[in-house]
Amino acid sequence: MSPALSSAPGIEAALAALRSPFVPGDQTTFISDLTVGELVLLEEIGYRPVDIVSGAGTASWNPQFTTSATEGNMWGRAIATAIDHARSGIVEELHRRRADGVVAMRFELERERANLLTCTMLGTAVQRISRGSGDEHPFVTTLSARDFHLLVRGGYRPSGIVIGVSVVGFAARSAAQSLGLARDNAELSDQTTALYSAREQAMEMMEREAQGLGADGVVEVQLQERPVNALLTHAVEFIVVGTAVHRGPKGHQALAPEFQLTLDDQPDTTFDR
Amino acid sequence: MVASAPDSGSARPADADGGIGDLAFHPVSRERRTWTSDLSVAEAAAVRRVGLVPAGFVMGTAVMQLAATGGQVFGQWGGLGGPSVGGGGGYSESYPCAHSYAIGGGIGFGGTAGGAAEHYGFNIEDAVLAASLTEGYRLAIGRLRDEATEVGAHGVVGVDLLFENLVGSTGTATFFARGTAVKHPGGAPLPSPFLTNASGQHFERLIALGYVPAGIAVGVGSVYVQPNCQSRGDFTVPGSNQQIPRAILVARARARDSLAAMAHRVGEGVVHTEWTDRRVNRYAESWDQLTVAVGTSVRRYSTEAPPLDPRPVLPLRP
Repeated sequence: MSPALSSAPGIEAALAALRSPFVPGDQTTFISDLTVGELVLLEEIGYRPVDIVSGAGTASWNPQFTTSATEGNMWGRAIATAIDHARSGIVEELHRRRADGVVAMRFELERERANLLTCTMLGTAVQRISRGSGDEHPFVTTLSARDFHLLVRGGYRPSGIVIGVSVVGFAARSAAQSLGLARDNAELSDQTTALYSAREQAMEMMEREAQGLGADGVVEVQLQERPVNALLTHAVEFIVVGTAVHRGPKGHQALAPEFQLTLDDQPDTTFDR
Repeated sequence: MVASAPDSGSARPADADGGIGDLAFHPVSRERRTWTSDLSVAEAAAVRRVGLVPAGFVMGTAVMQLAATGGQVFGQWGGLGGPSVGGGGGYSESYPCAHSYAIGGGIGFGGTAGGAAEHYGFNIEDAVLAASLTEGYRLAIGRLRDEATEVGAHGVVGVDLLFENLVGSTGTATFFARGTAVKHPGGAPLPSPFLTNASGQHFERLIALGYVPAGIAVGVGSVYVQPNCQSRGDFTVPGSNQQIPRAILVARARARDSLAAMAHRVGEGVVHTEWTDRRVNRYAESWDQLTVAVGTSVRRYSTEAPPLDPRPVLPLRP
């Protein structure tokens, strides 16, 4: 026996809307890769989707002979250039569409061969529903619509994504060293140092960028490190990306979450996909 | 192509003369004793909460031979004829050898370093491949919709769209569209059932929040890339590269534009867009930079949904 169907108030009206022909041109159109739940989350904080925007940048470098003496300045700069081109490309698209920012941006680094890197960005451009007086610089963030909603309700605004890139070379182990070290539990201090300085340089660059945007801090930093040990190339690549944020006019707002004790075992996997 | 628009009939002769195409368009009729679905239990529950019941698992398939502009045909002279070479006045750009010694082709270093052809690069919009893929999707979606109509459905939720090289050889693609047809018991039939790639739960949210799916829209963009020395990673000419990002951006822009053109014929908004960027390897080192975007076109049927003001919660046991 099937239970009586309780028709939600919506479905009749929804199907009725599909019976009348759609007249294009009457409405503000939009394209997004968000779910409707996310659209509503944006609407709640006064934003609406506009369009899907993207940016891309590619750069290559000469990786040869990278040692502690000849640090890969060109190399690191090339990676930063690729990311920066993608970022300025997406900001330009935001300007063109009069959008205030892009949320839930996909940030992808694709490596092609050893020394060619392509950075692509893609996300939904959003616009403030009630346009403010000052035209601020459009923001770019990898924060999801949910996190963006939380951020704004918490009293903060994204300033933009900030990056840090560094490549630090280190000396190869000599043959004697290699042989000797193979039997010892010794630390490869050159390489540890290289990692430390790579991280320091990348974080410094990121902090400089965040300061330049007038940000208070950086959230959701993602980092990627990649050791490169080729015949004549010994280096470590370090890339960090995060969203710089600043406090809004009202300052920090406490969200005061309600604590919940869920009775289900794993509610998320049962009812959410 | 918007799937929920009535099929304007296919130009393919196989359909007209009742051949194989005819079979595909009219699957063997059988009496359905029970409904089937590829919904999870939770999805089925969500669909029922909205007031719909599953009518049956439906699908549409089409095996296509893909056409594409040939890289070999254009070769190193691809960019020399100006922007019209791509065919149909599409986008095209040439990227000469960054070493500069290939200018003049075969003279000087070119003769010893592999010849001008090896260093020359160009991008050409491959509108033929894009149209080929779009047609495959159109056929698969149309057949899915026909099956849904046959079982008396009002719509199809959780539509998966994919293509793969499953049947046939190189240069062919099999397109699939599948989902669960749903109906509103007692409701008058729609002119054409709605289609959405949203899951049952997301469909429930759509309806509850005042949106109704109008149809699935597909956008395809393709740029054929013959890389020049720099785009192949020749480290003797390092630096910022234009060819690869341009190809990606043009392919994405085309996909976005065709998605918008199709979607905005039946609804004002597009949600749940799934983006796929991929490289399809072609002759030698060349590739097709391919973008496919699939989304649900929606209409807002009600603006009466109250502000939700969602409450932040913190589960004590996540």
